[in-house]
Amino acid sequence: MIANILTNRIVNDIAGGASQGVIIGLVALCLVLVWRATRVLNFAQGPMAMFVTYIGMTQMDHHVNFWLAAVISMVVGFMFSALTEIVIVKPLYHKAEINPIVVMVGMFTLLEAIASAIWTNIPRYPTAPYSSINFQSSGNPTGLSPLSTFQIAAALAVMTFVAVLFNYTSLGLKLRASALAPEVSKLLGLRVSRLLTLGWGIAGAVGAVAGVVISLNPGGLSPNMLDAMFILGFIAAAIGGLDSPLGALISGVGIGVIMQLINDYWNSNYADMVAVVLLVVALMLRPQGIFTKNSARRV
Amino acid sequence: MSGTFKRLAWVLGGLVIAMAIASIQSGTDAANLTKAGAYFIALVGLSFLTGWSGQISIGNSGFMLVGGYAAAFWTLHHPGEPVVISLLVAIVASAFVGLVLGMPATRLRGPYLAGMTLAFAVALPYVPQSFAVSTLGGSQGLTITPLSAPQWFSHLFDTSTTLPVVINSRFTAMVSVLIAALVLWLMSNLFASKLGRAMRLVRDNDVAAELVGLHLGRTRAQAFVVSAALSGLAGALLVMVSGTASPSTYEFGFTFSIALLTLMVLGGIGSLGGAIIAALLGVYSMQITTWITNHTGLGPTSWVSNKLPNLAPNMENILFGVLLIVTMIFAPRGIVGLVSGLRQKLISVTRR
Amino acid sequence: MISISNLSVAYGAITALDDVTIQAPTGAITAVLGANGAGKTTLLRTISGLVKPRSGSITANGHALIGERPDAIARLGIAHVPEGRGVIAEFTVEENLRLGALGAKTNVTSGLEEQYALFPVLKERRKQYAAQLSGGERQMLALGRAMIANPQILLLDEPSLGLAPLVTQDIMNTIKTLCANSGLTVILVEQNAKSALKISDFAAVLHVGKSIAVRPAAEVAADESLRSYYLGMAE
Ligand SMILES: Nc1ncnc2c1ncn2[C@@H]1O[C@H](COP(=O)(O)OP(=O)(O)OP(=O)(O)O)[C@@H](O)[C@H]1O
Ligand SMILES: [Mg+2]
Repeated sequence: MIANILTNRIVNDIAGGASQGVIIGLVALCLVLVWRATRVLNFAQGPMAMFVTYIGMTQMDHHVNFWLAAVISMVVGFMFSALTEIVIVKPLYHKAEINPIVVMVGMFTLLEAIASAIWTNIPRYPTAPYSSINFQSSGNPTGLSPLSTFQIAAALAVMTFVAVLFNYTSLGLKLRASALAPEVSKLLGLRVSRLLTLGWGIAGAVGAVAGVVISLNPGGLSPNMLDAMFILGFIAAAIGGLDSPLGALISGVGIGVIMQLINDYWNSNYADMVAVVLLVVALMLRPQGIFTKNSARRV
Repeated sequence: MSGTFKRLAWVLGGLVIAMAIASIQSGTDAANLTKAGAYFIALVGLSFLTGWSGQISIGNSGFMLVGGYAAAFWTLHHPGEPVVISLLVAIVASAFVGLVLGMPATRLRGPYLAGMTLAFAVALPYVPQSFAVSTLGGSQGLTITPLSAPQWFSHLFDTSTTLPVVINSRFTAMVSVLIAALVLWLMSNLFASKLGRAMRLVRDNDVAAELVGLHLGRTRAQAFVVSAALSGLAGALLVMVSGTASPSTYEFGFTFSIALLTLMVLGGIGSLGGAIIAALLGVYSMQITTWITNHTGLGPTSWVSNKLPNLAPNMENILFGVLLIVTMIFAPRGIVGLVSGLRQKLISVTRR
Repeated sequence: MISISNLSVAYGAITALDDVTIQAPTGAITAVLGANGAGKTTLLRTISGLVKPRSGSITANGHALIGERPDAIARLGIAHVPEGRGVIAEFTVEENLRLGALGAKTNVTSGLEEQYALFPVLKERRKQYAAQLSGGERQMLALGRAMIANPQILLLDEPSLGLAPLVTQDIMNTIKTLCANSGLTVILVEQNAKSALKISDFAAVLHVGKSIAVRPAAEVAADESLRSYYLGMAE
């Protein structure tokens, strides 16, 4: 009975879809973090994560093991994102809202081109620490492999870390305050500018985890590996509401599962379109996202 | 009324010069001019949306795809009918898609809108690729007989010294420039019209716009429709000249949406003159990049290129990425803004 | 002691403060009165570094403030309760208070205890979101959040705004007590001149960006000719 369930096609699709969905949720989380902190939608999130993933993962060529390479990606991801905020985003606060969008689009083009110049467009396949062969249940494959289990666990661990940091620590309180009410926070003595930079840094580190985890997928590591993921992450964030980390996770998993079902039962080319249709319908129904409270106004 | 005539005179003057240039161009340069005309139209479409109604789109390549396919589809099934009809069909089809997308879009603010249009542009090429493969040609796309020079045009040139291909390119360049000039004239009038002013008000101050009785949503949707129609026309023009519409056409992919945004910002958001500069930049970007790399010691024989053999093909995007960031931070009004700033300085200096 | 000399502030072409000179002695309450648009909020925002002045100087307990960043000024022991209170509606009462202590790097636990002793209502509602508080409770929260930082100087921008007369009186008395107990220097911006003058030691009157008088509160209260200025009935 249990064996039957574990190898059932739909159950497998749901498990496999959820494992990709959690990663979509992770990308969405980066977008939400940056959006909540600074009201900027980081269109270069994907390339930024890709770039630092390359920096870390290519260290494996120099006999660095996977875990250390992942940590290098995260640290570089943090610093790179923080530096980006300082150098090119800070000058644009208080400007028209399209200005930061345009600048981040420029960053997108720039980073993909530099990555392609340095590492070429030929994908690399970092050696994963776990097998990608699905677990078996009485001789039939289930929907999960050791690798996908690791991917889910890594994504959930990062999300838990972020949730605890933001909701249960003093630093989290300061970060949230700076994002919600920068002027009041300054009057209370918070170094708001520095905290916003820190917010970007954290998002960059989370993005690096997403990049590392995704580089273990069959597509491997390539300059545009996160383009599709970014779109899906954005769709998840927009459906969930750019202000809601939990919404990002839930809709990320939902999208992952739906896409896996479409892949399996229909045609993989339709999956992206369905995601876009979902987005359009969701935005028509609730332009601010499904999980955001109705415009909580500051007093 | 005099304003209208003045604008007409300017456009006609420009048109005559462009036509003269087109008639003496080599084959490749004429082909570039053809492309520039189409790019100009697409850029005006985007500039109108962003610069005049304050909405951002990273999805206009999608409208170009719709226009391109519509024109190809119509031409395929109605061979021998005038090109104008194919173009009109493309305009109507893309305007309709613009309306459908514009409805939810008008309720969205900047980042949501940008993301949604980007998602649209990414997903759209999958439609002809996977749906109705028999009618839309799947990944092969649709192939039609490309636009060619009519008899009377060929007779204008000495066919013993000029190849038919060159004559053809000159012809398409003229058609493209003519349509671009028409768009320029129409849009310069639209910018000065009541709708143009309404758009500007909606962009600058939506509260004030509501107060004077403008319907925000409707004005924004109108801007979307106009933008989509122009993009569709540009896409159709490219298809009529090249003879193919396929999911992998460069101008139909989301990277071209990004390129359009980049070019528009470099030229100057919301400016027709900026769109002309941007179109030429877009067409000659490769040559400009090569020139710059060769003159900055980054050329193919430099040590950097020896170390990074893959640098050369990416130089264009690196340059444009940097330019986009720098422009937005230091000169948000683009080349046009810089020029008019310089002119103002000169005037104030000479007055003193 | 906070001393403002020859301060001028402009927003583009609009002059908001014009050569203003006001002194607020240590341990006293100095009221700043004036009609709508007189420049009262601008004065406080300039002290806090949120607005850059065109000219003039501000010193507080010997520190020159002009050119300092707002957060640095706050950490010098200058607490500013802005117009409209500035409590963060999405935060609970306790989170708002904690934030005050975190910003000033004072002890959170003992600070919370002190403020809860001072404002028992806040203790009752500590887990509630600030959005759910009444106007008077919000003002107490804002005061508590300022006081948890152990400031030497307290800038209050219209604490009576939108409050019923009885609640206003309550708040004013609290301010008076705070000042008397801790040697706090207070600048109290008010339109409600009557309540403000009752608890103030000194009073300054602003009229369309100019400071008209800085005198003992009782004198200002008694001076019929000044009344028309701060009541906004001049000319
Ligand atoms: N950010 C700003 N930009 C432009 N003008 C401003 C700005 N803030 C204030 N002003 C102008 O400066 C002048 C003084 O304003 P301020 O807010 O300091 O007055 P106030 O005395 O606090 O008034 P109220 O009692 O209504 O709060 C007014 O004319 C106001 O319109
Ligand atoms: Mg005020």
